Amino acid sequence: MNIQDNYQINKKNIFFSENENIRNHREKLMNIFENDRFDKKNNESLKNINLENFLDFKYKYLVPEETSVINNNHDNSYSIVSVNGQCTSFKDDKIEITKILEEDYNDFSKNNTIEKNDHFVNLNSLFLNCGFKIVVKKNNNIKIKISNIVADDDLTIFQKNNIICEEGSSLNLIEEYENKNNSTSNILNVIKLEKSSQLNHFLIQDNSPSHNLIITSHSSCKKDSSYTQKIYNFSEGYVRNFHFSELLEINSAADLQGIFFLKDNNISNNKTFVKHLAEDCKSNQVYKGILNDRSKATYFSNTHVDQVAQKTEGYQLSKGILLSDNASYFSKPELKIYADDVKCSHGSTIGPIDENAIFYLRSRGMSKIAATKLLISSFINEELSSIDEEQISEIIQKKLVRYLSKVK
Amino acid sequence: MFLEIKDLSVKIENKNILKNLNLNINKGEVHAIMGPNGSGKSTLANVLAGKEDYEILNGKINFKENNLFDLNIEERAQEGMFLAFQYPVEIPGVNITPFLHSAINSKRKRMKEEEIDNLSFAKLLKSKASDLGINIDMLKRSVNTGFSGGEKKRYEILQMSILNPDLAILDETDSGLDIDALKIVTDGVNKLKTKDNSFLIITHYQKLLDYIKPDYVHVMVNGSIVKSGSSEIAAEIENDGFQKFQ
Repeated sequence: MNIQDNYQINKKNIFFSENENIRNHREKLMNIFENDRFDKKNNESLKNINLENFLDFKYKYLVPEETSVINNNHDNSYSIVSVNGQCTSFKDDKIEITKILEEDYNDFSKNNTIEKNDHFVNLNSLFLNCGFKIVVKKNNNIKIKISNIVADDDLTIFQKNNIICEEGSSLNLIEEYENKNNSTSNILNVIKLEKSSQLNHFLIQDNSPSHNLIITSHSSCKKDSSYTQKIYNFSEGYVRNFHFSELLEINSAADLQGIFFLKDNNISNNKTFVKHLAEDCKSNQVYKGILNDRSKATYFSNTHVDQVAQKTEGYQLSKGILLSDNASYFSKPELKIYADDVKCSHGSTIGPIDENAIFYLRSRGMSKIAATKLLISSFINEELSSIDEEQISEIIQKKLVRYLSKVK
Repeated sequence: MFLEIKDLSVKIENKNILKNLNLNINKGEVHAIMGPNGSGKSTLANVLAGKEDYEILNGKINFKENNLFDLNIEERAQEGMFLAFQYPVEIPGVNITPFLHSAINSKRKRMKEEEIDNLSFAKLLKSKASDLGINIDMLKRSVNTGFSGGEKKRYEILQMSILNPDLAILDETDSGLDIDALKIVTDGVNKLKTKDNSFLIITHYQKLLDYIKPDYVHVMVNGSIVKSGSSEIAAEIENDGFQKFQ
């Protein structure tokens, strides 16, 4: 079924389809699909995947019976169970959670950093059926854990979330995606950090082979704020992680990190993009991948330094270990610098496991498989040892052991 | 015979490196192999340790009654063979202490000995490190990562003293060491020497042999041992070079 027909049949179930402005915006998006104007050949999000599988889909969405928000005042932490992309409204003196509103949609559609030729984001806007907004109130320091559950088979989740950290606030946000059903989640997070706020965002992705996860995020940082994102992708299904950050005001920072563990025929496409638009800002983009069997991955990183963004520090690094001759990892770091007083670097290293290191470890009595596993763990040791949250560290260690148990 | 190498010929990438090499080492003996660059000394060390890049053309090696070629790299180590590398590999992210703990236990397991627990191992490591003048802080670091040349060699000897091998092969352990470091390293080796273990020391220079006294010195040229004898050969080489053996 083409996109237009799919939309017309299902628009009753799609958010804001009665709103004229939004309808007009969606008409434009549909024209893009109709006219096939996006460049398939050079569009990174399309590498290694069959686009038709994502465009020719059967729309299905079910409103969940219940979702929950549990507030533990004892340690300023909240547990949210989001089902099918929805979350119960909640309000206290520290946070407020609501459904996304039409004005939030308009906010997204006017956002210039969102790529206009990203058909996954366009699909998200067209078929939007869920999402929520979290506001962390001024000067609060809290932790939120969200379990993102898809409660049925064959669902097509198109979700937009809006996360706002008000001035002086600090949020540790842990999101878990562990779904075992045959569904697709297409999620767009728009994250705003006000002055002197801080967000540490952890995403643990561990879906079954039949579950597709497409996450795009746009974060923007005002003066003295910082956004850190750490992704741990153990999914056996397709995952796309595309993450963009704008450093809008002085002394703000973005740190976008990811590790992915692939095997079998799995595919992961990754992209990070940081735009430096003010002086004295810092960014870091580091992705590491371990690929076994016939798995494939891409990682594109980009640092854009505007001419006003003097004293910028921007670093990019991509590293990959190929455990099989049939695995492939394509990485492309880019720098665009229009200011003259900056420190920027980029690097990329992809290859098989170091045979000299294997020999060294085996020459001390360690078996080949034990040496291989030790070297894989050491490859990501820096990222794992820097996890402050004990709870996350334990989860990741368990998933790593499970991945390593399949390495032969 | 502890180690018996008979008519060993080895090639790598169509280049013959070792040619009908013969060498016998008995228990408790210290042998030194000296030779010019490219004579095949490090190849011999690597072949003994089991590096898989080489093609064995002919010959046999027996080690402690085992056909060495029947043992893989780790089995050789577990049977008591130890190679102190000429260029120890840096392995970022692999912490020294758990790595060495795991190494010693893999050997003990093969020997059907009880595994050493964390506390006992920590004590052993601390005491051996102290003997070699190794700072305890170094044991918190990753294997060879960011070590100076001297630290790497000292760390090789620390591993050797922990694993307590039956046959230790020291591949140019003296290279890159200043005189103080050389003394510490050779002291470490001498402390390990007993009537039950053997050493094969590979070096260019006599200097190392001033500190570790070999029972036999062999001259290796162009993939073969061309002369064997007492430590006087080392002095001869120091004076006249390798030219006359070629």
